This record gives sequence, structure tokens and C-alpha cells, in this order.
Amino acid sequence: MSSSGSGSSSGSGSRSGSRILRRVIARNGKRLWTGTALIGVHQACEASIPILIGVTVDSAVGPGDGMSLILWVSVLALLFVVLNVAYRFGSRQLMKAIAEEAHVLRVEVAAKILHPRGAQTGFRTGDLLTVSTTDADETSYLLDYVPRIAGSIVATIISAVTLLWISVPLGLTVLVATPIVLVLLQISAPLITKRVADQQAQAGRATSLATDLVTGLRPLRGIGAQDAAADRYRAVSRRSLAATLRASRTQGAYQAASTTLSTLLACGIAVLAGWFALTGRITVGQFITVIGSAQFLMEPFGLLAIVPSWVAEARASADRVAQVTDAGMVLPEGVADPSEERCELRLTGVRHGPLEGLDLRVRPGELVGVVANRPADAEALVKLLAVPIGFEGTVLLAGVPLENIERSRARRLLLVEPHNTDLFTGTIGTNVALSDDQPLTAALSAASADDVLELSADGLDAPVAERGASLSGGQRQRLALARALHARPPVLVLHDPTTAVDAVTEHAIAQGIRALRHGPDSGFATIVITSSPALLAVTDRVVVLGEGVVTTEGSHAELGTVDADYRRMVLR
Amino acid sequence: MTLPIASSEESRAWLRAELRTRKAEVGYTLAAGVVAAVATIIPVYVLGRLVDQVRDGAGASAIIPISLVIVVSALIGGAATGLSTYLVGRLGSRMLADLRESTVATALRLPALVLDRAGRGDLLSRVGADIAAIGKAVSEVLPQVISAVLLGLLSLVAMAGIDWRLGLAGAVAVPFYVFALRWYLPKAAPRYAQERAAVAERSQLLVESMQGLRTVHAYRLEDRHQADIATASAKARDISVNVFILFTRFGARINRAEFFGLAVILVTGFWLVRNGTVTVGETSAAALLFHRLFNPVAMLMFTFDDVQAAGASLGRLVGVVRMDVPAVPSGDRPAGSALTLDKVSFSYDGITPVLHEVSLRVEPGERVALVGSTGAGKTTAASIAAGILRPSQGSAYVDGVPVPDLPPRTVAIVSQETHVFAGPLLEDLRLARPGATTEEALAALSRVGALTWAQALPEGLDTLVGDGEHELTAAQAQQLALARLVLLDPAVAVLDEATAEAGSAGARDLEDSAAAALEGRTALVVAHRLTQAAAADRVIVMEHGSIVESGPHEELVAAGGWYAGLWAAWSARTPAAASAAGSASASPASASGSGSAGSSAGD
Repeated sequence: MSSSGSGSSSGSGSRSGSRILRRVIARNGKRLWTGTALIGVHQACEASIPILIGVTVDSAVGPGDGMSLILWVSVLALLFVVLNVAYRFGSRQLMKAIAEEAHVLRVEVAAKILHPRGAQTGFRTGDLLTVSTTDADETSYLLDYVPRIAGSIVATIISAVTLLWISVPLGLTVLVATPIVLVLLQISAPLITKRVADQQAQAGRATSLATDLVTGLRPLRGIGAQDAAADRYRAVSRRSLAATLRASRTQGAYQAASTTLSTLLACGIAVLAGWFALTGRITVGQFITVIGSAQFLMEPFGLLAIVPSWVAEARASADRVAQVTDAGMVLPEGVADPSEERCELRLTGVRHGPLEGLDLRVRPGELVGVVANRPADAEALVKLLAVPIGFEGTVLLAGVPLENIERSRARRLLLVEPHNTDLFTGTIGTNVALSDDQPLTAALSAASADDVLELSADGLDAPVAERGASLSGGQRQRLALARALHARPPVLVLHDPTTAVDAVTEHAIAQGIRALRHGPDSGFATIVITSSPALLAVTDRVVVLGEGVVTTEGSHAELGTVDADYRRMVLR
Repeated sequence: MTLPIASSEESRAWLRAELRTRKAEVGYTLAAGVVAAVATIIPVYVLGRLVDQVRDGAGASAIIPISLVIVVSALIGGAATGLSTYLVGRLGSRMLADLRESTVATALRLPALVLDRAGRGDLLSRVGADIAAIGKAVSEVLPQVISAVLLGLLSLVAMAGIDWRLGLAGAVAVPFYVFALRWYLPKAAPRYAQERAAVAERSQLLVESMQGLRTVHAYRLEDRHQADIATASAKARDISVNVFILFTRFGARINRAEFFGLAVILVTGFWLVRNGTVTVGETSAAALLFHRLFNPVAMLMFTFDDVQAAGASLGRLVGVVRMDVPAVPSGDRPAGSALTLDKVSFSYDGITPVLHEVSLRVEPGERVALVGSTGAGKTTAASIAAGILRPSQGSAYVDGVPVPDLPPRTVAIVSQETHVFAGPLLEDLRLARPGATTEEALAALSRVGALTWAQALPEGLDTLVGDGEHELTAAQAQQLALARLVLLDPAVAVLDEATAEAGSAGARDLEDSAAAALEGRTALVVAHRLTQAAAADRVIVMEHGSIVESGPHEELVAAGGWYAGLWAAWSARTPAAASAAGSASASPASASGSGSAGSSAGD
């Protein structure tokens, strides 16, 4: 598993993994035990087939007894019916339990990840995806392993009892020699695992190179580098082939060893049983049963040998699931509920990352531009307002410390639209109109996003592909801006909202924001973090951040005329 | 319009042709498989003989020759099984390696228009998921399938060898197996597809929610996303359970085949023994041989949908390989480097014209900026000049040679769409010129002003960059694209909006980088920032697919046309700069007025 992430899987993690596994068993009790019992019946039937073949030969085929043949073939038919019915209903019960458990775990994990107070899982996004998909599945597979173990034990016992009943020395030989052979074969397993893992890694590398090159096809074509790219892929493909052949050789060698050993074992038993039969100690039918049973026993024995590693995998996955579901919360549980719609945002002496004592006050109705000399200062400010944790100083919203405000309330009052716009699969309407039923027209035209609607006859119902991939960067940015404007929060923070639009449109957007949010008597406050002169030109006031503190403040026009540093940062 | 998929006949034809080129390898691979299967069958047959000897009351010494035979065949069988596993895997992997390499090579050569129409997703899934699916099938399923098929066939042959009626009895199971498959596969394929789609939808919701967590939280969408995830997950769960129920019914049909096969063998054996045609031992051998086939044949049945899926993937790969791609022109670069577009018209859909009889000429070494509002046709004109698109009418030339006939590396385009190729930074640069030395790469980076940050990377030029590795900023990625251009050293360069995403501060640096990269080349620059236009030797203004103005920046500004209006809007956003330039509408107060004027001009 690649998803160990930064989290530790030892100590408390291990115990919580076991706790998750115990819960898996407990909450699926009825289905699990019904299924396990039925799978046990199924395995018992499987183990009985070679016995029946022997009995049929002994009592019907040998003596030429027609009635006996009818009897035993009927028994065989009955056996197959029971075998199949038991399997069908047992495995369905188990499958339902497995699917339901994986679903429940997945929903639990997702709920934790999406929790508005933020979960401290220690995993990166990619790893979280693995936890919510593969690990949730792997954990639920415990419900598959339990009946398999039980079934294998049942099958082993039936075969063993039969063999011992036919002949004690013969039975003992089979029961001792088979596990030894299986253990011998397990010795080479790590090497195979390693080679196969290497093969998969190389194959994965070739796959990701191919997708990477095709993703970058336009730039590649632009410089006529397709041949160079194809050559590069060929080299990686050949390395992947070499790794596959290495793994194939190892697997071939393992196959040769395992086939030889298990055939020799089966043959040894057959020869021994044959000698017993020749010397009259067992009957012909018993001889046949021994051959068939010895062959059949390899299967449950083999499963019992491999199943501990499966359970260990389920356990490792359960540990990772637990690491997410047990994760602590980043933000405290806020309780304050300021009802004021005209909110003031006030930062005093805030230290957070690169910010070194930032003072910033935005009154209701104000449109304030923030210019950051260092991009990191802007990032830190945005992050702090979205997740108010790990800072010194005070951040007051409507006079209440931001971190003390109940999270839903806080986010309704203060909306921070991140610079990297995220759109979601759906339609333009589902992406932009998130809250109320007010018409979107005003927000869309303020963000100059009306033209996006004209792309398709469906208008607001035009589909948006995953992550907005069907739209251009500029279209995505304008839709996200429209979404923010449409939400009509008392305090809105925009971070570089127009980097992907052209000069003319940028002007129109600046006008649109001003007109929509800052008409007469508007109580809305807006902070625009940007270095775009078009946006700054419509602000009431510009605050300049340098080295983590406010260095200058004034109107855009004023700063543009008197401040050379400002000109360098903003004007071109 | 989608990429073609090869029909099963075409795929089979491809497979036959491939196998024909490897006759010897196919020969000994099959031979090893046959030896392995025969060696597996011999002991069972010999043990059947032993049954007869027991019944005939032979002495204990009869065990010796039998032991010898089965031990020898166990040794040979083991070795042959291993060898066959390896050889089958090798044959399959070699064929697959050739196939994936030609698929990728063809994919990379597909014309831009074909790809734009088919969508990149389809091609990506072919070079990604499809190749991976066949690779898995070849290394995990194929050896087992081949050995199960051989074992099944040869077991039937062995039974028929004892007595043809016993062989026939064993063959009774075959139609049952076939019926089971024919019942299952048509039902399973659409349900598995449904399951895959449901799982993909579920993953997509999870990925989107996690990657967009900031937005989810900002807009208080957590409950909505949680509900969507739960719904998608429940849907995938229900489909999986249904698919499994179908599978258990398939299992029942396989059990039925096993029972009938075994019962018919026992009854036939009974009857033949009574007739005196075969012995009890021979009947036992046939029954045991058949019992032995239960597992391998069931495995064969269960992997049939994998095989089918691999077949579908194969069709999708062969479909790509069979596509026609333009040949790479050879010959020398033309001596001159004048770029001409001669009455070029273009339409993506054949109905709406995007370009209408556009003619322009860029003199050797001249830098011309293309200006216009969105949808004016700038990017299309640039793509035609660079040979990415073929015009519907008219032609593009460099020094009189049609652009599609130019040898590689004569014209290059850097577009807005940047991509950092995954791997060491140096290797990314070397895509432009394979075999470039480190010094040359450093020089290229230095020329575009990227040397400082490149050397400051954790491992310098050896730093792994791109997807999942060290992430470069948008501006760095653009500079990298420009450095590739420098390393490529084309006579004619086209730049399309290469600074648009960088934000205002970065844009100025990028403009400098671009200027450095273009030095000494004939250059056509699609300019979004008018500073780029102002710095060019000449400006061409496009509207609605035609050229409306053309001339040096100062002339156009003085002429008071469309460009002059645009420039006024642009300079108004920068009051100090505008007043420094002594332009007319140069106060912040008038910014709003000229802004709206600019935007109406842009419509």
C-alpha cells in the first residue's frame, strides 16, 4: 500500500484498527454467521465429491451393480444441489454484508474529511482518496476472509477424517506432508511479491508517462517534439517489458517448483495408497478416494496458508480508516452567533506564518484593495480568514473573535473565495446558484460571465464537466466570481479574481463588483487581494502589505501618483 | 466524433499477423504447454492402470514401475509448467510492448483537429487504462487460460484414448459450460460496465470534494457533497450486489456442468465395464481426470470476462494503431524565414467561418503582434501559421514552402496551455532537443530568466517536476516552455497568449522572457497584454475572423481606430503610466468611462 502518508500506523493506530475490525464483525453478525455456516456446508460438499467417486467405483462400477449406481449417482446429484444452494445463498449474504460495510465505512470517512471544523488526518488528498476507496473496501473484505477460513477448516477436517478412517498411517502422512510442502512454497513468496511489485511499478511508470505525454500533447506538438516523446515512451516501455519478463521468469520458476512439489506429494501419497491397495489393506474405491482427497486438500490448506497475510492487509487498511475517523478537529467548536448583518472585519496585531503583526480594518460598505508585495503574505491572510487557527493577535468579525463564532454562521458572514477556483460536476446553475432562489442574472453580469451561458442552448443547465474541465480558465474564474457575488455575504474576500481574463473584461468586472456590492446604503464589505490596477481603481482604499505588515495605505490614484514602490508593484 | 475502435475481425487479423511474425516463438511456447498438460495427465492414467492391477491381485512389486513413471512425469510436468508460464507471459508481453509503443507513437502524431473533436479523454483512457488492462490480462490471466485450455483439451483426448465413448461422455460437459457462458456474458458485460461507471462516479465525487475542500467549506456545501457521496456510494453498492447475484447464478450453471460431466462419465464407465470394453481402473482414471478439471475450468470461466474486457481494450488500441497519421516531412530548413498567410480561411465545423481570407506577412526577424477580442480568430490564425491546424482554404508558407511540408523544428508555437512534463527538469527541456548538453539547457534557462529558480530547486536540473512531483508555478511553467523554444531554436516562432495566466506581477517578467526567447526569430505574437503589442515591430488587429487594422503601434494609436480605443482603455487602468506617456484620457476618475467604452468596443 502506498498510502502510509505521514500518519503512523503504530501505537494507538493499531488498536483503533483492531477496534474497527471488531466493529465490522459485530455490526454484520447475522449475515456473517449465516453466510459462514452456509459456506461451511458448501466446502463440506466439495470435500465429499472425491469420496463419492471412490464409493461409486467400489460399490457400483466394480461389482456391476445397477441399483447401486442409481443410488450413488442420485446422492451425487443431491450433493451438487446442496453444494450449490449453500454457496449461492451463503455468498449472497456475505456479499451484501461486505458491500454494505464498505459503503458505511466510506460514508463515515467522507463525513470526517468534509467536516467543517477540518479533520487533522495527516494524509494528503491522494491518500485520503485511497482511504475512502481501497482501504474501506479492504477493511470490509474481512467479512470474506472469516467464512473462507471457516470453510477451509471444515473441508480439511472432513478430508482428514476420511483419510484417517481409510488408513491411519496414510491419513497421517497426508496431514503432515501437505502443510510442510505448502510452507516450503511460501518461502519464495516474498521474492515473487517483490518482482511483481517491481513489474507493476514499471508498468505504472509507463502508463503515467503515456498519459503525461498525451496530456501535454499540445505543447509537444507546438515544438514538434512528438518523436522525441515517442522515443522516451519506447525506452520506458522496454524497461517495463524487462521488469515483466523478470517477474515472469520468477513466476515460472515458482510455478515449476510448486507444480513439481505438489505433484510429487500427490504422487507419493498415491504410490503409498497404491501399495496399501496392492497389499490388500484398502479397497480400490478407497484408493481412488485417497487420490482425489489428497488432490483436493491442497486447496483449503493453501488458503489457510495465505489467509493470514490477507487479514494483515485488512488490518493495515482498518488502521488507516481509523486514522481518519478518529482524527481530531482543527477548529474549536464555536458557539457565538453574532446576528449583525452589517459586519466589520478587524484584524489587530495578527502574526501568522509570514504575517508579522498585521492590522486591518474593513468597515461595512467598504471596498478595500489589498496589495501584497510577497505572494506568501496574501496566501497567509486568505488562509487565516478561511481557517482561523494558529495565529497570534485578534481577528474580530462583528466584534466577536472569528474562531469563537459557530462555523456555519461564520462562513455565512465571511466568504473567502480561494484563488484556485474549484467548480464541480453538474451544471452552470448548480455551480453558481448555491444558496437561494434569487435570479442569477445580476451576479453573472457583474462577473461578466453572461457569455458563458450563451455557449450552449441549455443556458444555466449546460453541463459542467469534472472540475470544470469543459470550460476555459477565464470562464471558470468568472463563474467562480459570479458564485461568490451571488452568495451575497456581508463580508467577501476575493483573491486575484481576474488573472485569467483579458484587460477589457477585467475593467467590466471591476465595475460590476462595485455596482453590485457597493451601491448606495450597501452594508457589504469587500476585500480584493490583487495587483490588478483595474480592480484597485474601483476600491475605496488600498492597503499595501510588505514584509508581513501594512506599509502604506491610501487611494489607488493617490498611491499611483506619489508612491514609486506602489507603481512598481501594480502599474505597468 | 470519436476515435475508431477496431472490429473483432480487425483485432483478430492484427493478432494473426503479429503471431505470424513470431512463428518460432509461438511454436515452442505451445510445445511447452502441451508437454506440461500431457505430463499432468499421465500419472492419473497410470494410477488407473494400478487400480486394475490391484483388482487383478498383482504383487506389491507392481508399484515400482508405476512409481517411476509418475515421478518422472511429475518432474517433467513441473519444469514444463514453469517454462510454459514463462513463455506464454513472454510472448504476450513482447507483443503488448510493441502494440503500446506504436499506439502511443500514433497517438502523439494524430492531427490536432481529429483529437479536438474526439476529446482527449478518450485517447488518455486508451494509452492509460486500456494498455494497463491488457498488461494485467497478459501477465496474470493469459498463462492460466492457455494452460487450462490445453489441460481440458488433452484430458478429453486422454479419455477418448481409453475409449471413444468415455471421451464423448467427458465432452457432454462442454455444451453445458458453453451454455453457462452464453447465458452469463451478455448479461454480465452491461452490468459490469454499469458497476464501473457507478464506481467512477463515486470516485469523482470524492476527488472533487477533497480537492475542492476549501470551496466546499467556504460555501457550506459539506452536507450537500456528503449526501451526493452517500447516494453515489449506495448506488455502486447496490449494483455490485446485483452483479454478484448474477455471478452466483453463473456459478450454479457451472456446477451443473460439473455434475452432468461427472455423472455421465460414471454411468458410461459402468456400462462399458459391464460390457467388458474398459476396465474399472480406466473408468476411475476418467472420473479422476474430470474431477481434476473442475478448478482450472471454473477459473477459465470466471476469467472469461477479463479476457473479454482485454479484447475490448485491444480493439481500442488496434483502432488507434490503424489510424492514418501525416508523415514527417524531411529535407532542409528553407534559407529564409518570412512567414506568410495567403488568403487563409478556416472553419471548425464547416459552417461557421472562424477566419475569412486572412493574408499577412511577417518579414524575417520581424516581430508582429496579433490583437483582438476573444473569438476574433487570433489563436486559429496562430495555429495555422504554426502548422497545428490546416486551413480550409488558402495556405501558410515559410519562405515559400507550405508549412505542413517544412522539416521539423522550422516553426514552433508556445501556447497558453502549458504542461510540465513529469520527470527531471533537464529531461523536460531535452524534449525540445534530445541529447542537448546540460550547458545548453542552462544557457536556454538563463536566456529566459529562469536560471535562478531552476538552480534553486532542491536538486537543481535533476529535480523531479510535474504531476505529483515538485510543483512549478504557472509563471515558471511558462518560462520552461520558452526555454524549450530557445533550445529548439526554430527560425519562426509563434507565441499565443503566453503570459495571460501569470497575474500582473509575473506578466512583466514573462514578457521579458518572451522577448529574449524571440530574439533573432521571425515572430508572430498573440497579445493579450497590450504592452506586448506596443513592444512589437508591427500590430495586426483582428475582428470576426478578418484583419481590420495593421501597422506600427504609434501609427495605429494616432489613427484613432479600434486599436486606439483599446489602448486608451488599457492605459487608463494605469494612471501614472498613462500620464507619463502623455496620453489623453489619463486620470483615475475617467477610468470607468473609458473602461466601458473599451468593453463595448470589444463586443
